[in-house]
Amino acid sequence: MTSETSISDDQPAQMTQDDRFVIHLDEQTSLTCSKDKTLLESLEAQQVDVHYHCREGFCGACRTKLLEGEVEYVTDPLAFIDDDEILPCCCVPVSDLKIRLA
Amino acid sequence: MKYTTFNQQNSNPLAEPMFFGNPVNVARYDQQKHQIFEKLIEKQISFFWRPEEVDVSKDRVDFQKLSDSEKHIFISNLKYQTLLDSVQGRSPNIAFLPIVSLPELETWIETWSFFETIHSRSYTHILRNLFSDPSAVFEDIVLNEEIRRRATDISRYYDDLIFLTQLWQTQGEGMHQVDGVTYPVNLRELKKKLYLCMNSVNALEAIRFYVSFACTFAFAERELMEGNSKIIRLIARDENLHLTSTQHILNLWARGKDDPQMQEIAEECQDEARAIFMNAVEQEKQWAEYLFQHGSMIGLNKDILCQYVEFIANHRMAAIGLDTPFEVKSNPLPWMNNYLNSDNVQVAPQESEISSYLVGQIDSEVSVDDFGDFDL
Repeated sequence: MTSETSISDDQPAQMTQDDRFVIHLDEQTSLTCSKDKTLLESLEAQQVDVHYHCREGFCGACRTKLLEGEVEYVTDPLAFIDDDEILPCCCVPVSDLKIRLA
Repeated sequence: MKYTTFNQQNSNPLAEPMFFGNPVNVARYDQQKHQIFEKLIEKQISFFWRPEEVDVSKDRVDFQKLSDSEKHIFISNLKYQTLLDSVQGRSPNIAFLPIVSLPELETWIETWSFFETIHSRSYTHILRNLFSDPSAVFEDIVLNEEIRRRATDISRYYDDLIFLTQLWQTQGEGMHQVDGVTYPVNLRELKKKLYLCMNSVNALEAIRFYVSFACTFAFAERELMEGNSKIIRLIARDENLHLTSTQHILNLWARGKDDPQMQEIAEECQDEARAIFMNAVEQEKQWAEYLFQHGSMIGLNKDILCQYVEFIANHRMAAIGLDTPFEVKSNPLPWMNNYLNSDNVQVAPQESEISSYLVGQIDSEVSVDDFGDFDL
């Protein structure tokens, strides 16, 4: 695992302002996510319905369009993803995001 | 081109296409043209499991309690799954290994097929537990009209590719006559057969298993046949990985990241590829109808199951760059996700006590904290 994209378990519990990002789902809906949970977990915690199967990056069921912003993978994604797609089950936001759920 | 088990011509595997280049010689994985296949091998091996590890003995009692229509659903699904894995346990090896050109892909195909054989063995494990003599169930697989119709469609594309490859490898390119039929054999025709075959396999892994999976998990939702459900969860996890591999292959071709001629063929045959998928969807819906012909089961009926097939099909078709032809927007069987989630898959017993399993292992990771109470 490369150190740049991995997040260790012993991350400090208290979140700073820098670790919280705004996720835009469409023109009207946006929510705040932090870096300590995967994007899928954050969306679920805020009652956003996302299709998933494996939650480990190998099946591709949660494949989502990334329109703006950047994510980092905590697990190497094995499922096929296009250049403009992300797998929310195994990534965390590193900037504000604009995404379109399937 | 004649097949050779060790191609003595020096070829550069980094410059070869996935298929129909030079035959593989050295099985080396230090360098890879398409890294993804090496990663899939690692992942698949980490999933290793044995059917005997799963206790299915309680299922026998549950099975006696099922109604006749539920027994029909349960046994028919096992028959269909047995057929699918009988095909998948041998066909990728026979069809793809003679024409593969990358060592990492060659090993992925072998690993993939091997896991399908674990699935086949697990059906015997399940059936042996339910019946003192499961022969009648196995024998019906080649007699049952509904299953035969599916077998024809599933094996057709494999058989076409295998036959043409055999002609090409023994007689070379040209027009070849076999039993009064003339077959044009050339590389483009072979690649076309390969493209259609890969689409058929992709549809199989993407759609065909899921009606059966849904029925198995619907029983488990009622706390019935839970041993069987544990096994099917392990199978579903493997099938998800196999699907990922066929999606990668199709997308590598379509995006021109492998063989430029395959990109042309992908464009040319897109309608045919779509038809293969739509046909699989249609057959699965007919299968749902056959399953429920004697009555539904609690929590599941034909209509919900057909909607689920459409929902899954939309996702799977989008993944290989096709349109999403069905209206279903939300998942009609949301509880399926709980069963398809790999976190919920029970680990093998010998792995749950990691300390004893990994005898002689050394933890080589050292963090700064380990030196916390260290003084000079």
